[in-house]
Amino acid sequence: MRIGIDVGGTFTDFLLTHDDGTSQVYKVLSTPDDPSIATMRGIEEMAVDRGLAARDFLKEVDVIVHGTTVTTNAVLTRSGAKTGLLTTKGVRDALEMRRGIREEQYNNRYENVRPLVDRRYRCPVRERLDYKGEVLASIAVDDVESAVALFKAEGVEAVAVCFMNSFANPEHEEQAAKILREKLPGLYLTVSAGFLPSIRFYDRVSTTALNSYVGPILRRYLKALLERLAGQDYKGVLLIMQSNGGVISPEVAIDNAAVTLLSGPAGGPVAGVWYTADQGYDDCITTDMGGTSFDAALVKNRTPFVTTVGEIDRLRIALPMLNVVTIGAGGGSIGWIDEGGLLRMGPQSAGSKPGPVCYGLGGELPTCTDADLVLGYLDKDYFAGGRIRLDFDRASRAIEDKLAKPLGLSLHEAAVGMYNLINTNMAAAVREVAVKQGQDPRDFPLVVAGGAGPNHACRIALELEIPLLIVPRESSIFCAAGMLMSDLKHSFVKTYATLLAKADRKRFKAVFDDMRKAGVALLASEGIREDKAEFVYSLDLRYVNQYHEVTVDVSEAEVTACDFAAMAKRFHPKHNALFGYSLEAEGAPVELINIRLVTVGVTEKPRFSPMEWAGDDPSKARKGRRSVFLPREKRFAEVDVFDGFALRFGNRIAGPAIIEQVNTTTFVTPEYKVLVDRFGNYTLYLPDREDEACGRILKWKR
Amino acid sequence: MEKIDKVLVSILQKRFKSIVEEMSIAITMTTRSPILCEAQDFVTGLYDAKGKMLEQKENLPILSFSLGPVCEHILRYYGDDIHEGDVIFHNDVFSMGNQNNDVAVYKPIFHGDTLVGWAACKGHQADIGGAVRGGYNPRATEIWQEALRIPPIKVYERGKQRKDVWDLIFANIRLRMVEEDLKAQIGSCVVGERAIQKLVEKYGLDVFEAHKRYLFDATEKMMRAEVRSIPPGTYRGEATGYYDGHNPGSKYTIRVKVTVEGDGITFDFTGTDPQTKGFVNGTFTSSASATMLTFLQMVNPDIPHNDGMVRPVRMIIPEGTVVNAAYPAATTYGNHLCPITASAIMRALGPVIPDRVTAEWNSLLCSLTTGIDPRKAEPYVDICFMGLKGGSGAIKGCDGYDHIGMIDASGGVLDQDYEMFEQQTPHLILEHELWTDSAGAGEWRGGLGVTTRFKLGGENNTLVTFGEGDVERPQGAFGGKPGVLNTMTLTYPDGKVVKPTTKDLIVGVPAGTIYYQEAGGGGGWGDPRKRKVERVLDDVRNAKVGLASARDDYGVAIDEKTMTVDEVATRKLRSGSH
Repeated sequence: MRIGIDVGGTFTDFLLTHDDGTSQVYKVLSTPDDPSIATMRGIEEMAVDRGLAARDFLKEVDVIVHGTTVTTNAVLTRSGAKTGLLTTKGVRDALEMRRGIREEQYNNRYENVRPLVDRRYRCPVRERLDYKGEVLASIAVDDVESAVALFKAEGVEAVAVCFMNSFANPEHEEQAAKILREKLPGLYLTVSAGFLPSIRFYDRVSTTALNSYVGPILRRYLKALLERLAGQDYKGVLLIMQSNGGVISPEVAIDNAAVTLLSGPAGGPVAGVWYTADQGYDDCITTDMGGTSFDAALVKNRTPFVTTVGEIDRLRIALPMLNVVTIGAGGGSIGWIDEGGLLRMGPQSAGSKPGPVCYGLGGELPTCTDADLVLGYLDKDYFAGGRIRLDFDRASRAIEDKLAKPLGLSLHEAAVGMYNLINTNMAAAVREVAVKQGQDPRDFPLVVAGGAGPNHACRIALELEIPLLIVPRESSIFCAAGMLMSDLKHSFVKTYATLLAKADRKRFKAVFDDMRKAGVALLASEGIREDKAEFVYSLDLRYVNQYHEVTVDVSEAEVTACDFAAMAKRFHPKHNALFGYSLEAEGAPVELINIRLVTVGVTEKPRFSPMEWAGDDPSKARKGRRSVFLPREKRFAEVDVFDGFALRFGNRIAGPAIIEQVNTTTFVTPEYKVLVDRFGNYTLYLPDREDEACGRILKWKR
Repeated sequence: MEKIDKVLVSILQKRFKSIVEEMSIAITMTTRSPILCEAQDFVTGLYDAKGKMLEQKENLPILSFSLGPVCEHILRYYGDDIHEGDVIFHNDVFSMGNQNNDVAVYKPIFHGDTLVGWAACKGHQADIGGAVRGGYNPRATEIWQEALRIPPIKVYERGKQRKDVWDLIFANIRLRMVEEDLKAQIGSCVVGERAIQKLVEKYGLDVFEAHKRYLFDATEKMMRAEVRSIPPGTYRGEATGYYDGHNPGSKYTIRVKVTVEGDGITFDFTGTDPQTKGFVNGTFTSSASATMLTFLQMVNPDIPHNDGMVRPVRMIIPEGTVVNAAYPAATTYGNHLCPITASAIMRALGPVIPDRVTAEWNSLLCSLTTGIDPRKAEPYVDICFMGLKGGSGAIKGCDGYDHIGMIDASGGVLDQDYEMFEQQTPHLILEHELWTDSAGAGEWRGGLGVTTRFKLGGENNTLVTFGEGDVERPQGAFGGKPGVLNTMTLTYPDGKVVKPTTKDLIVGVPAGTIYYQEAGGGGGWGDPRKRKVERVLDDVRNAKVGLASARDDYGVAIDEKTMTVDEVATRKLRSGSH
């Protein structure tokens, strides 16, 4: 058995798959103080369902793949560790200044983002290296000592060390780190030259600070989890999802916490490929609306986009990651009134604690979930399959008191305002992810996931005029599914700056060989034999005197033969495709900057069993009617409610309708029709796209 | 009449925006000069077949409202002699260019035989010939002492490079990197050309044209609604700049009359002082850009940037004045009149739409160093963007932006990355920090300025300065206090101290000289004693505001040892009459 686990801000999701192709979904409320509690709770639930003790159940589990949004949420809600920064005297504000950018140039009310490390915890150290890494001034140890005293007094839990030009010489950073380790045992420490030894001070200091800011959060979580698993004698493999769409061991993840910053969302595009492939799509947009955040990603030719100039909340992360746009919008997003008297939604989330008002766990601020309840999209008696009773009156009162009255609106006007506003925010994120890659969002099926996603998806799609939506049956644990479909991935980079044509063949090959050895060793520790491993070779190349590189994939044969001419030949057309010209004709020399290797350990993927054809009629799944608010018509209407698990391959439904599952409710607006595919996923389509949408599903009917 | 698909209109608008963004990325990724690849002192744009703006990426807006007018000039100039594969250069300030160093590249876009639009970009070149390396020549009195004029020229015709023309141009420019950077700018235009061709192929030319027109009209409607929200009337403002680079003590005043009538607005600069003898002179488009970018900060920031946006705005910028000098004046300084122009406009409209106008911004003071980098035995050129970035003025409900820099760019151009700076120049950074107490106090505080200190390396160094902000402080609004002034100091290795003027040319600056610059903060908004106490405490704890200013300006007493607020003393300070 294999388990995919996705820890979200509000829920922790589980997908359990068996070798026979069957699978089950589990979902428990997250426990933010120690997220491993929820993880173990889910494992216990699985065990109980099989009449086993957790210990015995875990004996049968081979692999647990685990993604987490704890680091993401810590940044988005600024609840990471109290973090200090040691940096070269004179440049301590680089982190906050972000090179002086204001992204919205004409908006004089657009504020800078609060830095992860406040100025009073950014400690200057007298030391200096020049551009080649040669020492101009040795390190003033007493500056490090006084920073230690401050950090101690203030209870700083994590520290980032980033000195000028340390990418060329790690010596001073290591000296500082040594003192910090001695004087502050238990400190979470990130040393820039070890973590990201590449030039560009702002990128490095930002990425290093991010790593420290989220490090203790991830460390606390994974240590607790490892202990709990060890306590149950778990002998299988635990793997952690990374932002680049691959998985790694927990030990590596703890020291490199920032590689998980988009680890939860990274499961999404991987899962999106799987869910759309059966219907014959090569491209899709995946979305995931959980309790705290909304993610959108674009997949083309079954390949998610990767970037190394990523950002989270306008903070630079210079690590390879899937190109996922994340905004603070989820079921827990809080509705509030800004200083100008306008309604706003998020990015603050009530999370799982105190949670939305209707959970009755002490939340007092009205959230998206409260609005969904008031508008009838959620059933107060069937939330989480009836395990959480939603308090309708309390939710109504909160919206009434906190929003409707101050805005001079009725309860329903305020609730629908919240609903529309958050949908507009999410539609903008979908548009951004498509259009930034030069794509028209209407050309892609929208894969809708996350517990709250299917309730909102039709309105998001309508705003973008997207005719086709696919709601996976495992929608609420979509990313957990994607994690089980991810391969082991270790990325390596090493700087070797030289004219490509004049590269030393021995050294060039040795760099690749060393990386390959390290990758093979890591994969071996994760149970992957070298013959099961795949290797992706690439080079960062540029024309001489340029300041940015293009990453160019090269073949193993070219590397083995040191065929530099062939490698350069791959660079010119890529430069042309990206930037509109190449200097190949004039014979401009090509410069090598970095050598990159990704080692991939291909994992076994879960299999799902298809259903039998069951015909058009969904009436067996109809469980009643209830009144919901129709946003276009601006009124309540009685609509059919279906039990999602009772729907079968071939069933058809016309909107408006509600489809309920234990963990997800899909609100089908009047514009859309629904057809259930052979894995029980729902395809929603506009009537004029019926032939295309249905043909892809009905081809599997025998 | 094509049926309009309103969603397609917004898709096209977003697509245009993403294309100019991609064109911008292409320039950042491929150019050699740090002014382009680090600071992003360039703009990219798309225009229709008549030269009307489809969209722009305005990293530095002061360059950007010249691209459309030059496109129209090119269309008039070449008539029907425009073909697929042509590439045209232009920089001439007397045919709608904004500054000599800002060289524009235009590429016509064809769908079959039909001209459907233009891709264009304009970047600040590291050198453009003329008497002084780097282009800024405060001693110039006519254009030929400043730059090579390009009014326009085809460097490619039907896809073939005109080698003789190309070589003539680059024979008159000092730095080889400029040739490479202009190749990169051509590449950027190709990126735009390919994308527009794909769009037209996908939707068809008629659909494309009809939806473009609809987009222009919809945008115009948005802009006219914004204009209508300003009370109709005529409003006057003026602001003064100091020192024309020739006559110590000289000054020049920019006067603007803003008339709001129905849904149109006119900016009339009649009455502005005459042009100066030297290079402190605007061009029509540098002043039009300054006006446009200032006004855009007072309207809904989500209005798309296309022809519809500019239609309701009329400008009268009389020739022979300091905002539009007559041929053959020197004008390289013109872009940097923007802070003065902006202040004049803000002073005119501030009393009318107080919620939409900020307190005054720090005025730009900038330096440019050139010389030989002995590590590579090659020349270097650097504009010290990080040093010039002062703070913006506060606005009701929002503090000013720290370290944003000149209003001409409003945070669109970036600091050099410190490590890249030390690779690209022979200098060594010693300090670049937020400057405590540099901003005007207020209920909403002005944005902080910065201090910058570096040690010059290199040989045969020349330092040029251009800018303002050493005489008049940026004013606060509604009881907010002013920000502080700019300063610049050079300390030579022998101890000699040189204080450059704001328009200076200093040759032979020796290696080892310490460069020190203070860029001031912006003005505050509203009575500082109304600022929330916890905001003041937060600023003090992070050394953005000092204890004395907290007490004297904000009326907040903070204990230095515990860094906590003394509530009793604070109440007393704040209850006092003022």
